[in-house]
Amino acid sequence: MQEGDLLELKDLNVLRGSREVLKDVNFKLNYGEIVVLVGDNGSGKSTFIESCAGIVPFKNGELYFYEDEDSQNVIRNHEGRKSNIPKIGITLQKDGICGEETVEERILIASEKSSKNYDSDKLGQILSDWGLNHRKSDRVSLLSGGLKRRLSVICGLAPAILSPKPMTVLLDEPSVGLDKSARILFINWIRTLASRGHGIIIATHNNDVIKCADRIIKIEKKGKIKESIGKSEGVIVEMPTCNSSSNLTSIRHLTSWALKMEIRNPIDTVGRVTPALVALLLSFSIIEGNGPLSVDILSSLILLPAFITCIISPAIINRFNEAECGKWWHIMLGSKIRPISSFLGASMILPIPLTYLSWFILIGNKSDEYSYDTLFWLWLPPLSLITVGMASSALHFLVSDLRRSNSSAGSLLLIALIWPFLELSDALSILMTSGMSYSLSIQSPIIGCIIASVSSILIWIVVVYLPDY
Amino acid sequence: MVVTKGASLLFIIIGLVGASISILLGFLWVPSLDPSTVNGPESFRIIYWHVSFAWCSFLAFLLLFIGSIIWYLKKDEIGWRFFSVGSDMGLLFGMGVITSGPIWGSVAWGKPWDWGDLRLNSFALLTSVALFLVLARRAQQDTNQTRDTLSIVGLFGFSLVPITAMATTWYQKQHPPIIVVSSEETGLPSDMLFVLILSFISFCFIFVGFSIITDRIHQLELKMENNQKNLDEGWLN
Repeated sequence: MQEGDLLELKDLNVLRGSREVLKDVNFKLNYGEIVVLVGDNGSGKSTFIESCAGIVPFKNGELYFYEDEDSQNVIRNHEGRKSNIPKIGITLQKDGICGEETVEERILIASEKSSKNYDSDKLGQILSDWGLNHRKSDRVSLLSGGLKRRLSVICGLAPAILSPKPMTVLLDEPSVGLDKSARILFINWIRTLASRGHGIIIATHNNDVIKCADRIIKIEKKGKIKESIGKSEGVIVEMPTCNSSSNLTSIRHLTSWALKMEIRNPIDTVGRVTPALVALLLSFSIIEGNGPLSVDILSSLILLPAFITCIISPAIINRFNEAECGKWWHIMLGSKIRPISSFLGASMILPIPLTYLSWFILIGNKSDEYSYDTLFWLWLPPLSLITVGMASSALHFLVSDLRRSNSSAGSLLLIALIWPFLELSDALSILMTSGMSYSLSIQSPIIGCIIASVSSILIWIVVVYLPDY
Repeated sequence: MVVTKGASLLFIIIGLVGASISILLGFLWVPSLDPSTVNGPESFRIIYWHVSFAWCSFLAFLLLFIGSIIWYLKKDEIGWRFFSVGSDMGLLFGMGVITSGPIWGSVAWGKPWDWGDLRLNSFALLTSVALFLVLARRAQQDTNQTRDTLSIVGLFGFSLVPITAMATTWYQKQHPPIIVVSSEETGLPSDMLFVLILSFISFCFIFVGFSIITDRIHQLELKMENNQKNLDEGWLN
């Protein structure tokens, strides 16, 4: 078996509010070692696991992952996240699985295999051993609590099972919700994984799991840790193996995951279209009831439905919030998660068709009264609104970092987006009255759209890059 | 604690008395403006409070900005105290600015709100950010992660000021503002200036008094929370 360290926490100090949850922690995880974390409720076990995953801010200290004996990779220090972690297996306390996913999809994503290159027999065997093979096409939301927990545990173990190279496995309270037979199976599997060189850290209160530890770390009062030798129980059993290495979880995985979730349950599209249509109908009744309106107001009303679709909170945030699913993706993608999520969460498709719909409903057969160019160039302001959608999505993601994000008035931060909207309304009103102009003057609709896009992109950059800088 | 409470109350009482005197002087002593230059010269007297509200909210937002920077860079408790006081005071005085501003705006511009006015819009944005921060701080558990996120929102609020400046400059070029008041680049009459300064000093007293009380409340809340956590963990015997 390979010798040396897989990860190291050096002089770690982590705060929760003003209280130091972990204090001066120095810890190394060796190849083939099972380390069990014990301690009272709230002592900092989950914080320890999340520190190893690199998603908790450090007051002091560093987290290193070792690729081999010579190369150490700083993942996080007191300044923030420095680089992405290598492949790991992780089971979070709250599963980290969105209810819309199927069992098979989740295990594929967790084991970082694409559906093209994975060996269905091996995954099928893993699922069969854990009594889940007959549910592999079911959505996770249909599983009972116990089955969901089993899936969550398998997803933590699968990357190591199917990896030819030793890796780190982090398991937070894996035995909660598992019955006796599943617990025994779990203990034997982690012993087998350790025999293959994988390093495993488990936070638990369960005595059976504690007995399988090679090393026990107790998190004591005031965040200090105390180490002792464990009993190293557990039996080595037969488990699937894999000789081909898989790719790291990438932006492509998240994109395809987000698309699948939306196609399966289009709450994002419905959630955006409904208020936009209500706004459109209200605008129609205002126009019908009040006679001809000025072009400025008319242009704002035409763009209003598209603007509303852009500033609505994206459904991907709710999916991320479900059972800490977002935390799982954060661990896997590191600082890339924020820009890519805000991009995926932005309303990309709806603004242009909604603006054309708005034009036909609000202007209808009076389009002759406006410039001939308008209908041809009507796509330009809503195209620029897509950048407003990205800025809005990034702001919603920033607020979702708060633990109780639903209880925060995040919409207050969206007021800044009024300027791009005003600029675009102006651009459309100029287009309607004077037609398209290709000059570089402020009165040109193109320049108005560029100004609106630049100010939205500036907001997006500030919100996306400041938190991880 | 008693000394802090007494001092802060004294500051607030002096401030409230001074602010009341200044608005009374504004109505009774300072001469009226030429009715031909403004519509409704009496409502113009709101400036004796509006300007003081604006200056004090500027102080509060400055405190919020400094606090956000210190917390963001150093994770220092003093930064968080500045941040907390700055957001509370920013909300209080910012609300004063954006409620008194439209009264003055109706007179000066002929409309209560001007999307092309930089100061008005910056204050409105910063006040909405302060409102968000106050609501979020009360709703969230006080962890480092919460503090990090909120300090970033504080910095985001300030990054909006140049964006607002840019947007309003462009917007003004397209829409020349409606100015009802004929512009005169002359200084203020000395009696008006006196009342303005008296009002500002009074508001500063209110600002300091409320800041002391707010900070004290935050410190006590923190202490109580720590004691509760200690009790949860059975550390107090």
